[in-house]
Amino acid sequence: MLQTRIRQFVASLREGIISGFIVGLIINFLILLGIPVNLTGIALLLMLLVALIFGVRLARRLHEHGFGHLLRNVLVMGVVASLLVLLFMALINRWQERNINVTDYFYSVSPQTMTVLSGVPANELFANPPRDPLTGAYPEGKALRTNPMRLTFDSDTGLELVEINLVIGGFYGFLIVLIIAGVLGTLLAWAFTIARLGQTWKRARAYLATSPQAHIGVLLLPLAFFALLWLTVGHGTYNAATGSYSTLNPVINLGGSAQEVQLLIGFGIILWGLVAVRAAQPTDSGLSYQARLALCLGIVVLMIGLGLWRIIGSRTYFLATSRALSGSETLSVLLTLAVGALLVVQNILGLRTPGRFETQFAGTGAILAVLLMPLYLNQGQNDVMTIVGINVMLGLGLNIVVGYAGLLDLGYVAFFALGAYSYAFLSSNQMQLGADGKPAGLKFAGNDEMVVRLASWVPVTVIVTLVVTYLGIKIWRRRPAPERRPWEHQRPLVAYSGRPGGGMTTLITVSAILLSALVALLLEGTGVYDRLFKSASPFMVGIVIGTIVSLLSGIALGIPVLRLRGDYLAIVTLGFGEIIRLLFTNLRDYTGGPQGVLEIPRPLPQGATGGVGYLTMVYLVLIGVGLIAFFSLRLKQSRTGRAWSAMKSDEDIAQSVGIHLVQSKLTAFAIGAAFAGIGGVLFAARQRNIYPNDFRLDVSIEVLSLVIIGGMGSVPGVIMGAIALIGVPEVLRQLETYRIMVFGALLVAMVILRPEGLLPAPVVQLRERARALTHSHYRQEGGEA
Amino acid sequence: MTDPKGARPVLQATSVTKRFGGLVAVGDLDLTIMPNQIASVIGPNGAGKTTFFNCISGFYTPEEGEIRFLGHPIQGLRPDQVTARGIARTYQNIHLFKGMTVLENVMVGVHPGLRSTPLGALLRLPLNNIEEEATLAHAYALLDFVGLADVADVLATNLPYGSQRRLEIARALASSPRLLLLDEPTAGMNPQETEDTMRFIRRLRDERDLTVLLIEHDMRVVMNISDQVTVLDYGRKISEGTPDYVQRDPLVIEAYLGTAADEVDVNLLAT
Repeated sequence: MLQTRIRQFVASLREGIISGFIVGLIINFLILLGIPVNLTGIALLLMLLVALIFGVRLARRLHEHGFGHLLRNVLVMGVVASLLVLLFMALINRWQERNINVTDYFYSVSPQTMTVLSGVPANELFANPPRDPLTGAYPEGKALRTNPMRLTFDSDTGLELVEINLVIGGFYGFLIVLIIAGVLGTLLAWAFTIARLGQTWKRARAYLATSPQAHIGVLLLPLAFFALLWLTVGHGTYNAATGSYSTLNPVINLGGSAQEVQLLIGFGIILWGLVAVRAAQPTDSGLSYQARLALCLGIVVLMIGLGLWRIIGSRTYFLATSRALSGSETLSVLLTLAVGALLVVQNILGLRTPGRFETQFAGTGAILAVLLMPLYLNQGQNDVMTIVGINVMLGLGLNIVVGYAGLLDLGYVAFFALGAYSYAFLSSNQMQLGADGKPAGLKFAGNDEMVVRLASWVPVTVIVTLVVTYLGIKIWRRRPAPERRPWEHQRPLVAYSGRPGGGMTTLITVSAILLSALVALLLEGTGVYDRLFKSASPFMVGIVIGTIVSLLSGIALGIPVLRLRGDYLAIVTLGFGEIIRLLFTNLRDYTGGPQGVLEIPRPLPQGATGGVGYLTMVYLVLIGVGLIAFFSLRLKQSRTGRAWSAMKSDEDIAQSVGIHLVQSKLTAFAIGAAFAGIGGVLFAARQRNIYPNDFRLDVSIEVLSLVIIGGMGSVPGVIMGAIALIGVPEVLRQLETYRIMVFGALLVAMVILRPEGLLPAPVVQLRERARALTHSHYRQEGGEA
Repeated sequence: MTDPKGARPVLQATSVTKRFGGLVAVGDLDLTIMPNQIASVIGPNGAGKTTFFNCISGFYTPEEGEIRFLGHPIQGLRPDQVTARGIARTYQNIHLFKGMTVLENVMVGVHPGLRSTPLGALLRLPLNNIEEEATLAHAYALLDFVGLADVADVLATNLPYGSQRRLEIARALASSPRLLLLDEPTAGMNPQETEDTMRFIRRLRDERDLTVLLIEHDMRVVMNISDQVTVLDYGRKISEGTPDYVQRDPLVIEAYLGTAADEVDVNLLAT
């Protein structure tokens, strides 16, 4: 009788015991990784978070059984977890007593943990001296880092919970905190269930989506975040008469954490911009054309005004910081006005359709908020934005290959490297040191000449090729029409005016290339280039060449792996990535080897000093991201995009539906690689020195993770993923050490909780448009279906 | 198309042989299909029907023999080339594109008839725009034809079974084929659905000017709608002709029902 009751009692605590074991193991793992067992760092919060999460989990699983049952389980969880930690600690201690130096094996364990373990204050702990290599013993008379554990109740060496010094010292305090965290988590989850917060949240979302006022609020969120940023930034004034510059205190003074908070607000602008544009509904707002226009243009005028004020008033220069450079200032003012004018025209044109109001409104606000943001951030913050932007470019490129076309590419970093090195070779000012240690000339000798040559050859080739191809097709069309081959579409969807076949196209292309080379050579002989392109910017040339090089290498990688799928493809591409990195490391004579390429110039306008090119950099990145995102979105809704999507779903069936697999795959590889190349060029320009080690496998993995976490095949998802995985860790520098661990945990959590990613691509809604089109289309053709 | 009926066969297979190692999946098969016919290929399981389909649609290359489509040899072409020439097919187990809507699935089917490039899509060149609109309209009209226009924006995998079959046919039709290969179009359907599908296949032939070649297990369907029936057994043709003729052919009866001693098989067939 009693036995059965005991058994029942234990059975009722099963969930708690299991959770306790898991929590205990996770925390032991974290301790091994080096997270300190006191409450002074963010790191420990991570441990408490584990207990909290498992408390919530318990509450969700057990809430039907009543509160008492739940509480019992949570207490058991805390006790079991604590016991496990205690056991582990005791084990460490035991080893210490036997003169086994645990810190040799678990060298990551932090001194704080050791303090708690041993009772020796952290400042009295010292690192172990090196062992004797032959005997393996420590030098005579040198104490080990830790002493045997004292089960101390001494509050001095105890646990500090923010400011309250827990009376119980040692790690008992920690154990108590662990239980408290578990109970807190349970209470939280319990309250969540009781208050039906989930339903409230759903209702709130429905309200936001349906109520017009609330909905407008959502659309205005990026601007609200921008206003927040504006309030936290100190606005300066420049006195032209005295040439002095004074800074006003910000309205909201953030003190020491301003750097991070402002950056987070910056991310908020971008994220809410994405959310607002997605939340915009294509319904008629009911407002008149004038009202719609006034609302949209109001934002444009206000924001452009703010931008101009910032540029002129605070002397924040768009292109250079040297205060003497009034030319750059004029240029930045003109650029700002041009952006404003573009948005005005776009709004006037777009708003004629009543259903487009919300998209225009949210889009205009978001674009302007993001464009103005860099003016209000300092150099360090803008640097973070730049690196996030470069990662977005990489993510969007990989998104084409993995997200759209379903080709798992683990060597994606190769194209990034090729883009970066292309620009580096073309622009580096690195001097070669002679035998006497003095500069003996450019290391990548002749790159000035190369820039001029490329700057001239590329446009000539493009122009000549286009002209020759056009003329070739014209001439071909004059020939009598060949007899139609019987399989050519009897019922063509679109009436084509004939095109040359494969052989003819090749002929035209080859002759075009030959001719353009001839023309370029002839022109070079006349010396026109030197006069025309002497002042060519290496960056402009670099971005074109970098894109072309990585695009071609994308095709070059694509060809051998055409027949590979899934895991095999991943392994081969991984190898390709490593090959490129090793080539750059080992071909010392050509690439500078492990020492890398140094002194790569930042893109700056003529005459500007290179002091602070960061604004130019961040705007170049913003423009690049914008273009790539735009291209990605357009590609998705195209014949090519649909072919990729089909190929991702099922290669064989896609082929039998009529998709040319070779063409489709190579296009995906080429475009993805080209995006990475652009990212690479900007990366080289940002870093100014690049090394083969910048292009390790980690980069591929990171980019892949951000694509997966953001949402495969979703452009906003990739941007969000980059912010979450690249941007936020930059803010939380403290957690830098645990970045890879957090990556892994996040990936696992994502796969379980949100396999689609943070912002998955929405299901394409085309029916209404199709219906409208079908009516007009078939009416034109005389109603024949 | 203006040819008088029966002037030129749509599909002409001459002594097609496909082996897998020592196994002859299709042996020495001759088949001729005239325009606007509904032809059926039947046979017990493992008779080589689907293998023959795969030979036509380019998944397999037959070791011997020749397949001519509208007078031109097509064996050895890739599946996409075969589709581009005007042969579309469906599958025994439905293969739709997951993650794409019903409408997008059909739009993929239009692919071989289009020519726009990624650059065209980026710059919204005129050719791209015309094609995109035509694709959308064409795909929607096809959905209308198969009765799925209302669920155009639903994910294809969320459709009920019967609708998925019809969607697969709509996708096949999107490439404007001359010859449609249907692999067991009524598999897993109840009598009412089967009835509908039969009517639908006739409509395809009559309204869309198609030639249909189908594999089918349901004898009622085969005997009802076929103009010509070919019976395969162990990869070889054992009989060919009108449904009436084939039904009475002793060889066919033997292949299906076995010899008189094999009572068990009859029972199996009846279930």
